[in-house]
Amino acid sequence: MVKIMIIEDDESISNELKELLQNSGYEAIILKDFNNSLNEILKVSPDLILLDINIPFINGELLLQSLRRSSNIPVIMVTSKNSETDEASSISYGADDYITKPYNPNILLLRIGAVLKRMNANYGINSNELVYKDLIFDTQKGVIKKDNIEIVLTKNEMIIFSYLLSHINKIVTRDELMTTLWDNTEYVNDNALTVNISRLRNKLKEIGYVDAIDTRKGQGYILS
Amino acid sequence: MKFKSFLKDRLYSIITILFCYFVILLVLFAYKSDKAIIIAITIILLVTYIILFLVDFLRKHKYYTDLLSNIDNLDKAYLVLETLSKPEFYEGKLLYQALYEINKSMCENVRLKEEQLLDFKDYIEMWIHEVKRPLASLVLTLNNHENILDRKTKNILKRLEDQVDQVLYYVRSENAEKDYFIKEIDLSKVIKNVGIKNMDDLLDNKVEFMAPKTNYKVLTDSKWLEFILNQIINNSIKYKRNVDSSYIKIYVKDKADTTTLVVEDNGIGIKPSDIKQVFDKTFTGTNGREKTTSTGMGLYIAKNLCKKLGHKIEIESKENEYTRVFITFAKNKYYDVLK
Repeated sequence: MVKIMIIEDDESISNELKELLQNSGYEAIILKDFNNSLNEILKVSPDLILLDINIPFINGELLLQSLRRSSNIPVIMVTSKNSETDEASSISYGADDYITKPYNPNILLLRIGAVLKRMNANYGINSNELVYKDLIFDTQKGVIKKDNIEIVLTKNEMIIFSYLLSHINKIVTRDELMTTLWDNTEYVNDNALTVNISRLRNKLKEIGYVDAIDTRKGQGYILS
Repeated sequence: MKFKSFLKDRLYSIITILFCYFVILLVLFAYKSDKAIIIAITIILLVTYIILFLVDFLRKHKYYTDLLSNIDNLDKAYLVLETLSKPEFYEGKLLYQALYEINKSMCENVRLKEEQLLDFKDYIEMWIHEVKRPLASLVLTLNNHENILDRKTKNILKRLEDQVDQVLYYVRSENAEKDYFIKEIDLSKVIKNVGIKNMDDLLDNKVEFMAPKTNYKVLTDSKWLEFILNQIINNSIKYKRNVDSSYIKIYVKDKADTTTLVVEDNGIGIKPSDIKQVFDKTFTGTNGREKTTSTGMGLYIAKNLCKKLGHKIEIESKENEYTRVFITFAKNKYYDVLK
């Protein structure tokens, strides 16, 4: 499981953040001892760090700077400072991304996903082809393949399917899907989302997967 | 400085001199002096006084004309003392001294106010960062317990956040110091960020958001532009018309040396009598009074920020048909060369 470390001194935020991450299938660890942050981080060796700039004892940017001397763990800066200069200086200290409070939780998760994906790509994992049971989903060509059958997905269907696929066997809310679509500059409305889901269902049915996407009333969808 | 007024100012001296002259004439006549002596004395007196007045006039004339014209020409009139040398004549010295003292006390006063303003600004910024923490924790809590609270609560929270942001940008826009950072940014990205921010609001109000992906890049501060765009879109949602197909359309017009971002909606529009004042501070207009609460600050701050960034913001509208807001960015040829 991907390990994410939360470095944040506001307890209510860090606890909610932990819950959010755990609900999304990550392992979340909260840094407790700010006195000894750097050693603590290296001991836990997380896969990703969410770092607040205003933390006790050491400034977040300084911590990042000293961390970068010994480690390449991806870091997303989380802060309430929202000027362009703050962002630029964080990036220059070696942050991989920057997000300002109060953030949209779905966006935070998308950013975490993107940073992790980028790291994996660096390790040479080919992310163009995803697998669902005996289906191959080619994200570059935008098709799903099984044996010799190829079905073309529209851009929206692709975005929805890859999101469902990356959260397989978990409930995905409409809100999450909507945010993902909007984040990919597809500004659809509620109706269009419903239509896209049912089209995607039909296409999966065509290729032999009936009821692959289940509707959970009042909660969202689940791909199993 | 006019010679006539100068002479008029010295009316008493002139009368006294004339009186003296007549007394001298009387004395001379009484002693039956020669005509030649009388003429000589008259000429001597006349010439002496003319020279005296002229020299006096010319000295002062140069100084005061310089003073007045410099005041006119300077955009900061209070700096005029720096442009003049110290006068040589007594009145001028007095004036100079007085102006110097006034200026000094004024500068001290302004400086004090500036410090107070800066303190206040620092406080507000700090306060905003503090208030964003509970907001962030609320947003997260809300997301984790979605079943308890719904989109409406999220919208209320977003309104709160928007208002907090407005204070922040108001303080920033009113301040003389430069705290923005201009670089080349992708317009699509800014539009996307603002879109997602307003997603729930747009969906709830059934306002179609149309913003085709473009590759236009402009020179600006992305955070400031996001704020400006957010204000405009908030207005579009707030002043939508009750029709089936409300929309907000965002597109770009590209010209040789400018790029213009257009935000168009089919809302209730703005009355012709109101449109000239929409960027004025605390102007609410008919719409603001009839519809929801309006502070009249949003567009004012947007305009101020645009002015600082060097963008042009304009608005056109037809009542009950459309409103279009244009933000024009200049292209920088120099920047292209550097790349």
